[in-house]
Amino acid sequence: MSKPTLLLIDDEERILRSLRMLFFSGYKVHMTTDPQEAIRILRDERVHVIVSDQRMPLMQGSELLGLAREASPATMRILLTGYSDLDASIASVNEGEVFRYLMKPWDAEEVKKVVAEAAAIAEASFAVQLHVDVPVDAASSKPRVLIMDNDESTAKTVHETLSDRCEIIWASDAQHAMEELAKQDVSVVVSDLTLGETNVGYILKTIKQLNPQTQCIVVTSFNDTSRLIELINQAQITRFLPKPVSKNLLVRNLESMLERFHAVRNQPALQNRQAVAPISDPQEKIQAGNFLGMLGRLRARMGA
Amino acid sequence: MQQATQTGKEIFSLINTIDAISPDCSLEDVAAFFSHPKYSKLLSLPVVEEGHPVGMISRYRFMDIYLKRYARELHGKRPIRKFINGKPLLVELDQPLAVAARHVLANMQFPLTEDFIVTQGGRYLGVGFVMDLLHAMEQQMRANTMELEQANSQLKSSQLALVQSEKMASLGQMVAGIAHEINTPLGYVQNNVAIGQELFQQVQSMIAGYEALVDDLLDEQATEGQIAAQMQQIAEKRADANVQEMLGEMQGLMEDSLYGIAQISELVLNLKNFSRMDAAATEAVNLNECIESALNIGRNVLKDRVEVIKELGDIPKISCAPSQLNQVFLNLFTNAAQAMEGPGKLHIKTWSSESAVHISVADNGKGIPEEILTRIFDPFFTTKPVGEGTGLGLAITHQIIQKHGGEIHVDSRVGEGTCFHIRLPIVTSILMHQPAASEAAT
Repeated sequence: MSKPTLLLIDDEERILRSLRMLFFSGYKVHMTTDPQEAIRILRDERVHVIVSDQRMPLMQGSELLGLAREASPATMRILLTGYSDLDASIASVNEGEVFRYLMKPWDAEEVKKVVAEAAAIAEASFAVQLHVDVPVDAASSKPRVLIMDNDESTAKTVHETLSDRCEIIWASDAQHAMEELAKQDVSVVVSDLTLGETNVGYILKTIKQLNPQTQCIVVTSFNDTSRLIELINQAQITRFLPKPVSKNLLVRNLESMLERFHAVRNQPALQNRQAVAPISDPQEKIQAGNFLGMLGRLRARMGA
Repeated sequence: MQQATQTGKEIFSLINTIDAISPDCSLEDVAAFFSHPKYSKLLSLPVVEEGHPVGMISRYRFMDIYLKRYARELHGKRPIRKFINGKPLLVELDQPLAVAARHVLANMQFPLTEDFIVTQGGRYLGVGFVMDLLHAMEQQMRANTMELEQANSQLKSSQLALVQSEKMASLGQMVAGIAHEINTPLGYVQNNVAIGQELFQQVQSMIAGYEALVDDLLDEQATEGQIAAQMQQIAEKRADANVQEMLGEMQGLMEDSLYGIAQISELVLNLKNFSRMDAAATEAVNLNECIESALNIGRNVLKDRVEVIKELGDIPKISCAPSQLNQVFLNLFTNAAQAMEGPGKLHIKTWSSESAVHISVADNGKGIPEEILTRIFDPFFTTKPVGEGTGLGLAITHQIIQKHGGEIHVDSRVGEGTCFHIRLPIVTSILMHQPAASEAAT
């Protein structure tokens, strides 16, 4: 295999030079300070991984990654930023659909590892078509949508509009959510960040480990940037919608995530595109381990 | 309801239950009452007919009549109806104490000869002593004063807390911006060092190879085969490390790293200058320096899209609290940046007149609507969404300028921009002996 191609964008050339040096032995490296140039490169050439800064004078990184998604859907997108404001991180999920959200200053080894992982995934997805209209098989069971929220209104909204097409489950506590997950995998999870007293971060992370095809939408009034960044990297949430969320916005996003679920299910090669980073928080790691264990026992009992 | 019971209670506690006399009582009977030890402290007796007070007879009035010659014989048997004061002081039970006191004070006679009658719905309840009423009033006033003092000190401390929270809010914003500014050079410096470290190891291992080769060459006993193997090893290392090229690149990265470190040092210096932590609270300062310092700190908010035009004149130093004026300028600059939705211009000008230094800060942002222009210096007034602004930025700015004996004015046109004009006297009778509110809070 020839060297994978890496595209670096930052308004600080010293960052570009430094990163190029990190990658030049293993990659074909392009670098630019100009977002338009970056898009041009993406159109002209098969680029495995794009790494972009967020705050740049001409364009925000999340916006650039959104354009990159259109120009070259198979390219894996990574944001590398020294500025973590909430708007930027929300945009990086919703527009940029980033594979990783990395912070400056970065750990050289970690960045190398992430880029290598992303390059391998990109290589595999070049082989398959990303957007194919797969007719939803009417015979197959209805997609399951799990809503984890204390507040019933989200579940109600979803029920009103999608109940004919999906099985909709509303769980207002972690126990209920676990029982439902034990019964059968879910297609899309719509979740707040807390459920009663429980911080659901570890549940979302576990769901994604359990079934990488499941798409996660977070709908919350919480706005903690560092937690969001964790969820991007470790749960690969694909949408972050701040509450209160309008019915249209919720339904539209839910529909597009249902489509995404079908696409991934029909082309399992794509599921690696949402591979998660290991859980970093030691307590969450334990919680996730327990959750998986209990889930396993529940499934075994149900199967028996 | 609560209030009514409370006020009813106030008057109620003043009631002395005294059997009222009828207007048909004779003067002789009244004489007996007044001389009875039980009534010895009474100034006056209430006169009540069918439950309603009709008057008061005071000891003073009674004696006036009764001490006259033959008065006892002439009037002793006559009813007192004719002698009483038909317009006694009446106080309704549910009146607030203060209202009752005002009424009594306005209508009482000097010397004090009569107390007042307490009624409920016009019916007689008892007698209240004027002295008791005044005493109760005084106590209430004292309590009120204490409450006011307490409220005042609470207000003061919450004002301090708010000033502090505004400081923290702008500090937080500033810190986030500066963190980004530092993280960028820190990012490449750290990465370059990591790359350098790896390269260093490779170079080390190559040097070791070369040294071994030299040793072999100098060693007379070394065979051709050994030397060839050593050379082969070196060649392999060279092939997979491409050290020459990397060393060349590394030269550039070293320069970048030094540049990055210089940038970080400059940022830290700017921060230090801005906070003036190591300087006296008050000193003679050229405000152009404060403006530069605030611009350095605010660079993050401004640099992307705001063109800064400086016309800093030759102005004399003034005695001031530089850290506070830095805060003023940073506040004006960030406000200006926020007023511009796209790219914009920030025009900063300084000049001096005979007695004052002038600073104008003009932006070509969206401007401030006329109806809120008069309110922008008001504490808590903000146009930002809840949680984003404390509404204290300009209020604190105003307060700081005032404390320096100066003035701040604003001119604004919607769609054209806003201009703040600050005038600070050169010779300040600066009110800086006391630490400013914001200083005291730290």
